[in-house]
Amino acid sequence: MTDVVRTGIRPSRVAIYGVLLLAALVYLIPLFIMLVTSFKTPMDIRTGNLMALPTDWTIIGWTKAWSEACTGVDCGGIRGYFWNSFKMTVPAVLISTLLGAFNGYVLSKWKFKGSNLFFGMLLFGCFVPFQVVLLPMAATLGQLGLANTTTGLVLVHVIYGVAFTTLFFRNYYVAIPDALIKAARLDGAGFFTIFFRILLPMSTPIFMVSLIWQFTQIWNDFLFGVVFASGDSQPITVALNNLVNTSTGVKEYNVDMAAAMIAALPTLVVYIVAGKYFIRGLTAGSVKG
Amino acid sequence: MSQLELRSIRKTYSGVAEETLKGIDIDIASGEFIILVGPSGCGKSTLMNTIAGLETITDGSIVLDGKDISTMEPKDRDIAMVFQSYALYPTMSVRENIAFGLKIRGKPKEEIAQEVARVADLLQISHLLDKKPSRLSGGQQQRVAMGRALARRPRIYLFDEPLSNLDAKLRVEMRTEIKKLHQRLKTTIVYVTHDQIEAMTLADRIAVLKDGELQQLGTPKEVYNTPANLFVAGFMGSPAMSFVPVTVEQGEHGLQAEVRGNDGGTIKLPVPDYLADRVGREVILGIRPEHITQPQDQKDDQDLVTKGQFTIEVTEPTGPDVIALIQLNDTNVHCRIDPEHPVTWGETAELMFDMKKVVFFDPETEKRIAA
Repeated sequence: MTDVVRTGIRPSRVAIYGVLLLAALVYLIPLFIMLVTSFKTPMDIRTGNLMALPTDWTIIGWTKAWSEACTGVDCGGIRGYFWNSFKMTVPAVLISTLLGAFNGYVLSKWKFKGSNLFFGMLLFGCFVPFQVVLLPMAATLGQLGLANTTTGLVLVHVIYGVAFTTLFFRNYYVAIPDALIKAARLDGAGFFTIFFRILLPMSTPIFMVSLIWQFTQIWNDFLFGVVFASGDSQPITVALNNLVNTSTGVKEYNVDMAAAMIAALPTLVVYIVAGKYFIRGLTAGSVKG
Repeated sequence: MSQLELRSIRKTYSGVAEETLKGIDIDIASGEFIILVGPSGCGKSTLMNTIAGLETITDGSIVLDGKDISTMEPKDRDIAMVFQSYALYPTMSVRENIAFGLKIRGKPKEEIAQEVARVADLLQISHLLDKKPSRLSGGQQQRVAMGRALARRPRIYLFDEPLSNLDAKLRVEMRTEIKKLHQRLKTTIVYVTHDQIEAMTLADRIAVLKDGELQQLGTPKEVYNTPANLFVAGFMGSPAMSFVPVTVEQGEHGLQAEVRGNDGGTIKLPVPDYLADRVGREVILGIRPEHITQPQDQKDDQDLVTKGQFTIEVTEPTGPDVIALIQLNDTNVHCRIDPEHPVTWGETAELMFDMKKVVFFDPETEKRIAA
């Protein structure tokens, strides 16, 4: 222990902040290039410096990407696919989160014979690579009559997501004292009442974690989208790929960049809105006190 | 106001070889305050959970007001419980916490409001009704937990170590509070604690448990003065009863037993006549601190009283008296001495032994030898 009050800047601090600043820059430069490029004219892109600010700011890249750009043969922009992604992501996120909450409740508070084994097996779902399930899943969707539909994609994402959401909620609920459940049972509450009236209202932090995690996973998914959806039901990630790969003369980098920004925006918004719960929720389950 | 009978309750957890409860029989009268006491792992909490219906029993039956409730769901038993951790619903206000059980049971709104007001008034928590539990102090949370139990007017109240999370001062206050409440409401209460002072002060009757077996069931006075065996004798009372191995002899003025101090000097303690058939055999003398005091003139010529010189090894002033440690037959023995009567550690002092209330145990069976 030292009593000396340090004044001025220590060299070690400078070094730490220097490294951090550098790391931040490395991460931010691609975003910066995307952003400025999306506001440039094609002329500007061809003649100017990659890092330079646009000489004429224009939103033509954005409007074109949204409503005119060609993805394959269709030239209606990525607008339709953007909504496709929403129609897929919102139900998939909500259903998988609710199922996970329910699973977690049962696996932590109403243990049955073999429930730990069941949970262990469910966890395997977190480690199964996407590619492994492609063929069996395609066959299953075909038999269910859900091939090439948004509903089919929702189903796939729910099944895949439940392993993660169950893990989140189970670990969160394990830390909640059992006495609370006992008290509620003596108060006359049943299985569902305890879940909806006692546990669910306590679950905001872990709900946010599950929401962010699932939203990011499902919105950003490309593989399932490209395999299990076609034409009008494709999600935006697939459309973005098609847009970039469709060449009609000159490559329009401003449109590509704007489309990529549009595709990334919803996840960004979710992080900004719910981000503070994310850290809180992640630590709530693992660290006590 | 309900009467509860526990009939040879047995409980074995799956995968555990030993029984947790080995046939417990307790009859609890209406309005009685029963305390289950024992060291941790003795099965007292398990027994309470089986009464509540939170755990099933392997054998036996639980009868409430003449009706077997052994297999009923907790919610159908009409029993309320106060938990050690309080277990208040964190997202609800105090009012909602108290009203929850009534709401679930579909009571009309006005009735719930009335009941909450009555309970809040009774426990003096009216000013806290709109707060969340996390905003309350430990003592206030404790009151709310009791309020939640009281609001339903159940037939039996179960208290599971309700005071052990409170600090020492608050614990004594709440203890008095609970006792007052019981005297006013005359409810049937089953209360679990590992604190023998809590048991002595609160209970109408105490059930002492050890290793899943009932050791003794009796009033605090009975359990304290005539403990059934060595375990009960050692568990109840603070400082604990001291156990000295002695041999019963026939003396000139009746039966006696010789004890040796740590300086080698011996005195003969008079022992009661009921030990006559044990002359020449070893018994265990159970002697409480208050049985060994400074000399008291008014007791001088009473029967079964004697005096002797002993070296004081340690003194512990507690305020109202000084606990002094001496050795009898190589065993540590506590004495309770008036603080006005000076004793110094390392020096000898004259002590008076009042053998009228001491107890004796059989060294083989560890049971008390009946008077």
